[in-house]
Amino acid sequence: MIKNSQQLNAFAKEIQTKKEKYKGKTIAICNGSSCRALGADKITQLIRDEIKKHNLDVDVVNVLTTGCHGFCERGPLMIIQPEEIFYQKIKPEDVPEIITETIIDDRIIDKLIYNDPKTKKKIVYKPDISFYKKQMRLLFESNEHINPKKIDDYIGIGGYSALAKALTMEPEAIIEEILKAGLRGRGGGGFLTGWKWKFCRNEKNDTKYVICNAAGAFIARSISEGNPHSVIEGMIIGAYAIGAYKGYIYVRHGYPLAIENFNLAIESAKEFGILGQNILESGFDFEIVISRGCGEFIAGESSALIASIEGKAAIPRPKHIHATEKGLWNRPTLLNNIETWANIPFIINRGADCYASVGSEKSKGTKIFSLVGKVNSTGLIEVPMGITLREVIFDIGGGMINGKKFKAVQIGGPSGGLVPESLLDLHLDFDSLKEAGTIMGSSEMIVFDEDNCMVDTAKFFIKYLMDESCGKCTPCREGLVQMHDILCQITDGKGREEHLDMLQELAWGIANTSLCQLGKSAPNPVLSTLKYFKDEYETHIRDKKCPAGVCKALIEYIIDSEKCIGCTLCAKRCPVNAISGEKKNPHEIDPMICIKCGICYEVCPVNAVERK
Amino acid sequence: MSRIGVFICHCGHNISGAVDIDALKKKVAQIPDVTFVIDNPYLCSTPGQELVGDMIKEHQLDAVVTSHCSPTLHERTFRNVAANSGLNPYKLEVANIREQASWPHWHQPDLATKKAFIIICESVAKVKRNMALEETSVPITNRAMVIGGGVAGIQTALDIADGGHKVYLVEQDSTIGGKMIQLSETFPTLDCPQCIMTPKMTDVANHPNIELLSYSELDELEGYIGNFKAKVRRKARYINEEKCTGCNDCTQECPIYNQPMIRYAPKYSEFMDKEFIEKIEPCVTPYVGQSSALVQVLLDVNMKFNYLPQDAIKYVSEKLRVPLSKVYEVATFHNVFSLEPRGEHIVGVCVGTACCTKGALKVLEEIEKLLGIKSGETTQDYKYSLMEVNCLGCCALAPVVTIDDEYFHADPSDVNPLFDRYEGGSDQ
Repeated sequence: MIKNSQQLNAFAKEIQTKKEKYKGKTIAICNGSSCRALGADKITQLIRDEIKKHNLDVDVVNVLTTGCHGFCERGPLMIIQPEEIFYQKIKPEDVPEIITETIIDDRIIDKLIYNDPKTKKKIVYKPDISFYKKQMRLLFESNEHINPKKIDDYIGIGGYSALAKALTMEPEAIIEEILKAGLRGRGGGGFLTGWKWKFCRNEKNDTKYVICNAAGAFIARSISEGNPHSVIEGMIIGAYAIGAYKGYIYVRHGYPLAIENFNLAIESAKEFGILGQNILESGFDFEIVISRGCGEFIAGESSALIASIEGKAAIPRPKHIHATEKGLWNRPTLLNNIETWANIPFIINRGADCYASVGSEKSKGTKIFSLVGKVNSTGLIEVPMGITLREVIFDIGGGMINGKKFKAVQIGGPSGGLVPESLLDLHLDFDSLKEAGTIMGSSEMIVFDEDNCMVDTAKFFIKYLMDESCGKCTPCREGLVQMHDILCQITDGKGREEHLDMLQELAWGIANTSLCQLGKSAPNPVLSTLKYFKDEYETHIRDKKCPAGVCKALIEYIIDSEKCIGCTLCAKRCPVNAISGEKKNPHEIDPMICIKCGICYEVCPVNAVERK
Repeated sequence: MSRIGVFICHCGHNISGAVDIDALKKKVAQIPDVTFVIDNPYLCSTPGQELVGDMIKEHQLDAVVTSHCSPTLHERTFRNVAANSGLNPYKLEVANIREQASWPHWHQPDLATKKAFIIICESVAKVKRNMALEETSVPITNRAMVIGGGVAGIQTALDIADGGHKVYLVEQDSTIGGKMIQLSETFPTLDCPQCIMTPKMTDVANHPNIELLSYSELDELEGYIGNFKAKVRRKARYINEEKCTGCNDCTQECPIYNQPMIRYAPKYSEFMDKEFIEKIEPCVTPYVGQSSALVQVLLDVNMKFNYLPQDAIKYVSEKLRVPLSKVYEVATFHNVFSLEPRGEHIVGVCVGTACCTKGALKVLEEIEKLLGIKSGETTQDYKYSLMEVNCLGCCALAPVVTIDDEYFHADPSDVNPLFDRYEGGSDQ
C-alpha cells in the first residue's frame, strides 16, 4: 500500500536501483496476442524449463513476458537485453540453442536474426532494423520493458509519477496543459482533447463519468494487453481534472487477454492505493469498472458505445446534445479513445512543450498506425504526426511484397478513403488526410498493389459497412445497399455510364444525411476511388475489362499453347474438369465450364496460364 | 334458367394478338346458359358500349360477362351501361383476359386462348350466382382516430381536421413529433426536420378539431368502418395538468429518472427446470435488478450455453427486470449472440480488411468445403459452428481463424492443419 507520492517515489527508486545493479541478461518475449497465436506462450514455458535444466541463476538470466512489440509479422519475437539482440520467428526447437549459445556463450544464432527483405542484409540488434529505425515510440517503447501483469514494472519505469504530479496541480491547470500540448482525440475525429475536458469540467453536475474506448481493433488491443496501467493512469488524471468519481473501460469481449490484463491492473492499483478511496492522500476517490462489448463496428461510435454500457443495443443517437453535457445515464461524460488516455501521463510528466515539439503544426505528438496489406514488414508502428506516407510504406514497411507495384493505401479503417501513388508524399496528420479524402479513423493502413482491383476493393468495403450499419437511419441503411448494388453491377460487367453519376449522388446524400460517423464516412472508399481511379471504373463499364484481373465476370483464363508443357497439373487441380489435353501436349480450358477460380493460374509451373 | 350474354373485346391488337378470338367464341357459346356471344374491336368505345346496351335489351339478357381489360379500368363503365339498359349493375361481371391472359402469354397463343376461356368460364359461373343488389345509405360517425403522433400521424390528423372532421390523435410518448423531430437533416434534400415539424406540432395543439391524447395508448378497438369503439388508456401523469406549465424542472430532479418502468414482473422461472436454473444462476445472480448489466449478462450466458436458449432470455428478463422485448432487441442486434444451438467448437474466420486482402474469403470457402456447412451454420453432429467475425486485432497474422478462444494463422491453400488437434476434423 502506497500512501503518498513520497512513498511512490521511494518505491520507484528502489526498483530502478535494483535494475541498474542487475548485470545478467533479460529475455523479453513478446506475449501479445499475435505472437501467442504463433506459439509464444509455449516458447516462454520452454525457456523457463531450459533455464531450470541448466541451473542458471536469476543473476545470470531472467525472463520477461511483455506486451506487443509491434513487429507482429515476424513473431514470435524475443529481445535479449541489455544488448538488444533481436530474434524473430522462433520455433520451439530453437529454444535449447538460445540458452546454450546466446545466454551462456554469448554467441549470435544466425538463423534467428532478421534478414532485411530490401537490402538482403542480416541485422542483429533491434535499433538497427529499418522497421524500428524511423519510428518514434513514445507510448510503445515501454511495452518491451514491462510485464503488463505487474504493477511494479510499470512503477519502475516511472509509472504513476504523472498521477502524483497531477494530484498536486489544480484541475484547471491540468486542462490548460493538455490544451497547450495540442493533443487531439485519437479516436479518429481529431477534436482537441483539452476542449472536451474543459466542457466537461464546466458542467455543473455531482455525477460525471469518464469512459475509455478500448473497443478498437489492432491498436486498442495492443495497448490494453501491453500497457494497461498507462491507460488507467491517464483516466485517473482525466477524472481528477473534470471531477468524476467513476470510470468505465469498454473492451471487446473477444479480447480475453485485454480484459484479464485490465482486471489485474485495476486490482493491483487498488491494492497499491492508486485507485479507490483517497488516492495518494489527495482526498480524491475514483473507481474503474470494465464493461465488455460485443465487438460490433458501430460500437466504436461514442453514443452507441454509451448505449452499450447502459445495457442497450449499440445504436447511436442524434447528437444535438454532446456527451460532455449528457452522456452516460444523462450525466456529463468524458469519453476518450484508449490511445488518447495513454498519451496523458507523458504530457503531464514531460510538459506540454516537450509534447508539442513532436509532430506537425496542427497535429501534435505521435500516432500509432497498424500497417498491413501488401508490404514486407507489417505490424504496429508509432510515428510522429506529419511523417510522409512514402517513409511509412517504403522505409518502415520495407516496400512492397515481391517487388510489385504500389497502387493505393487505405487509411482509417473500412470507411477510409484510398490514396493513390501520386499522393505518397502526403503528410500523415488529421488535416492533410481529410484534404486527401480520407480520415484518421481507426488508423489502419492497408496497402494495395497492382493485383488489387479498386472497384472490387470499394465494393468490399461498402459490403462490410452495409452489414455493419445498425439500420437506424435511412440514408445509411438503404443508401449503402443501393451503392453496393451498383458496384456489383459494374464488377459483373453490367455497368452503365450513368452509374458513375448515380454513385456520386448517392455518396453525397449518405455523407450529408446519415445520423452518425459510420454513415457519414461510409462513402469515402467510393468517393476516393472515383476521384483517383476513375479510369478503372470506366474500363469496367466501357471495355468490360478488369485491368487487375480480379472481377470474375470480366476475366478469362487462357492457356498459352506455346508455353504449356503438358504437365497435367492444372487439369488435375481444376475443380470442374474444364481443362482437357493429352500428357506432354498443350492443354485447353473450356470457357463454358470454367468457373474462373484461378487455381490453374496459381499452380502452373511455367506461367502458361494467362488471365485476360 | 338464365340468359347470359358474353362480350369479347379485341382491345385493338392487345387481346386478339395472342388470343384466338374465333376459337374462343365457339367454345364460349357451348357453355351452358350462355345464350349470346359477340366480339368487338373496342368494346369500351361509344359504339361498343351502345352494342352492349342494345344487345341486353334485344336478347333480354338477365346477366352479362364482359371480357376485356382489368375491372379497375372498365367495370364501372359497363355496369353503368347495364343500369341504363334496365339490368341490375351487379348482374354484370368482368373477365380480365388482357392482363391475365393475352399480355403474360403473348408468345404462347394456345395457352393464352385456353386461359382466356377458363377465366370467362369462371366469370360466367360467378355471374349466375350474383344477386340483384340495391344501394342504400346509412349514417356514420364523422370522427376519426389517428394512432401515432409521428410526422405521418400529424399530417393525417391535420388533413382530416382541415376537412372539418373531429380527430383524436393518440401518442404513446409524452410528446408528438416521433422520430423525425430527432433527426438533424432529412434525406435527400437536407431540409431541417425541426423547421418542418414544429409548425405542424403547434398546428395540432391549436386546431379546434383535434383532440390530442399524448402519453396514452390504445387498449381496445372493436367495430367496423363508420362504427368503431376504441378504449384509450391515458397513462398516469402524477401531476396536476391544470397547473403544470411544462417547465421540465421536475424530470431533472427526479431521483429515479430514466429508470425502466415495470408494470408487472412475470415469473417465467417458476416453469423452468431446476437443472437449467442451477446452470444459469451464477451468470445472473450478481446482477439481479441491474438493467444496465444486460449486455454483460447475455455475454456470460451466451458463453456458458454457446447460445442463448429461449428460457435463458426469459430468465434474464425476469431477474434483471428488463422487458422481454428489450432483451430480444439486444440479443438479436449483436451477432455474437446466437438464438440457435451451436456446435462444441466455434470456428470464426476474420473477414476484416487486412485478412481479406490476404485471402480470408478463400480460407472461409475452404473451411466451408471441409466442414460441409456454410458460414452461420452448424455441423449435424454439433461439433463445429462456422461464422464470420469482424477484425480480431491480429492483422499482422492475416488471415486469422479462431477456434473457440484460440487464434491461428490460416493458410488459404490448406486449412486442414487447423482442425488436426480437434481429432482430425470432421468425417470428411
